[in-house]
Amino acid sequence: MIAPAAAARVAMLVCLTLPAAALAAKLSANVRGGDGKPLPNAVVVAMPEDGRLPPLTKTVEVVDQIDKEFVPYVKPVRAGSYVQFPNKDNIRHHVYSFSPPKRFELPLYSGTPAEPVLFDKPGIVKLGCNIHDWMLGYVYVAETPYFGKSAGDGRVELDQLPPGRYQVRVWHPLMQGSETATVQRVELRDETPARVQWTLKLNPEYRPRRMPLPGEPGYR
Amino acid sequence: MQTRMTTAPRWLTCWLCCVLALYSAAAHSEWGFDASGGFTYDDNLSNAFEADERKGDTAAVIDVAGGYREQLGTSTGLGLSLLGTSQSYLHYTGLSNIGLGARALLRTKFGLGAEAPWLAVSAQAVYHNYHDDNLDGWSYEAGATLGRRFGDRLTVSGSVRYDAYVANSTPPVIVPGLSGSPYDVYGWNLGVQARFFATESDLVSLSYTWRTGTVTSVTEPDLEILEYSDRVSRTDIFGSPEIAYRINANTQTIGIAWSHTLGQRTALNVAYAYRRSQAASDLGVYYANVISVTFSYSY
Repeated sequence: MIAPAAAARVAMLVCLTLPAAALAAKLSANVRGGDGKPLPNAVVVAMPEDGRLPPLTKTVEVVDQIDKEFVPYVKPVRAGSYVQFPNKDNIRHHVYSFSPPKRFELPLYSGTPAEPVLFDKPGIVKLGCNIHDWMLGYVYVAETPYFGKSAGDGRVELDQLPPGRYQVRVWHPLMQGSETATVQRVELRDETPARVQWTLKLNPEYRPRRMPLPGEPGYR
Repeated sequence: MQTRMTTAPRWLTCWLCCVLALYSAAAHSEWGFDASGGFTYDDNLSNAFEADERKGDTAAVIDVAGGYREQLGTSTGLGLSLLGTSQSYLHYTGLSNIGLGARALLRTKFGLGAEAPWLAVSAQAVYHNYHDDNLDGWSYEAGATLGRRFGDRLTVSGSVRYDAYVANSTPPVIVPGLSGSPYDVYGWNLGVQARFFATESDLVSLSYTWRTGTVTSVTEPDLEILEYSDRVSRTDIFGSPEIAYRINANTQTIGIAWSHTLGQRTALNVAYAYRRSQAASDLGVYYANVISVTFSYSY
């Protein structure tokens, strides 16, 4: 015979020692462009409605510069993360951003800058290179750790989410309209994934990279 | 002729040595290569004032440029490149030529970002070897361009440029007092240009250039020309005995070009230019229409 108080303590201990996955819920998102094709580089963010978020752990993410492009083109990070910008070309780059969530400049450098850049305010940070004007990249700074980026199939799978009610939204660099207009409310109960889907109308991208220009022979 | 044949290769060797020396000193140089090829048609190659003297022809054109750029500081870069040109005319083969030269370009941005204004100062020299030896010579250009991008789609620039062509040979004097090559010409150019992305892959360019200086025209032997020209020589470049003469003129050129991206490094270009020259004397006005279709590659 176990006393009720002891039984409660055992039950609590069992709950605390259960694998986190057993309590985790899943979200499956599908993002398509206006033409119906799967849309890569879309960031799907899930924000718990109760506002409870796990504590921040210091992480250093990486955005490379390879063949005069930012790689990846879109990098989602949690607010409070650091991002390193290694230059893997054998030429120099000059990375900057004018975006309000993070204004910064890494003047002309090769290799890896000594200090990573802290992204502590949520929002969209547009990256550029002052030497190669066509270079363009984005750091999406999310206020929550529950986010993912769509691959070539337009899918984002989020797992390890605490069950509960969420507001889920999507962002893409070329999307028309605001990110807040994409918010969907979902309730995550168990391991059966909740499914969300968006079809985003996209703006054109006027960025032909290194396109030769008529009437301008000669190396630019 | 022997001197001309040896001058260009010696000069080229010297230039290549300089490039290699600079390259070895520049650890982060950025190499590049541009090439374009296609056809161009000019309906008044002779720069004739009279309609029945206008000579039009089509040429196959190839332009190549290769070199490197060194970023000298956070806002300034220096580009050095070797240029090669070729024009092969269908009918008037005397105008066919190949050219070899070099170009230096210093470009600086006034600020940070893609929309910061920029200034490019450039100078180039190209040696042209024509099928008709009388036209052989050096072309020189030096100028400055100030430009700025507005948003993602529009770039506007203005430029000032000096051009000169110095022919190697001096033809025999046919009129006392009018000596020197009529192919020696020079001029000052002022231009404006706007480029606009009509779609994601289509770039439309509009340009206007005003040039004041000397031009070379070709006409049938005409004593009246002697009143207006300071240099005259015989030529049969258009197939019949004519005279080439140099006059002062103001030339306006309006151009429109369309460039369609075929990939990250290639484009198809179609361009049209209308050229109108007003002689400084009473000779009047001549005009020309130039159409070109080229395929370009950039690495």
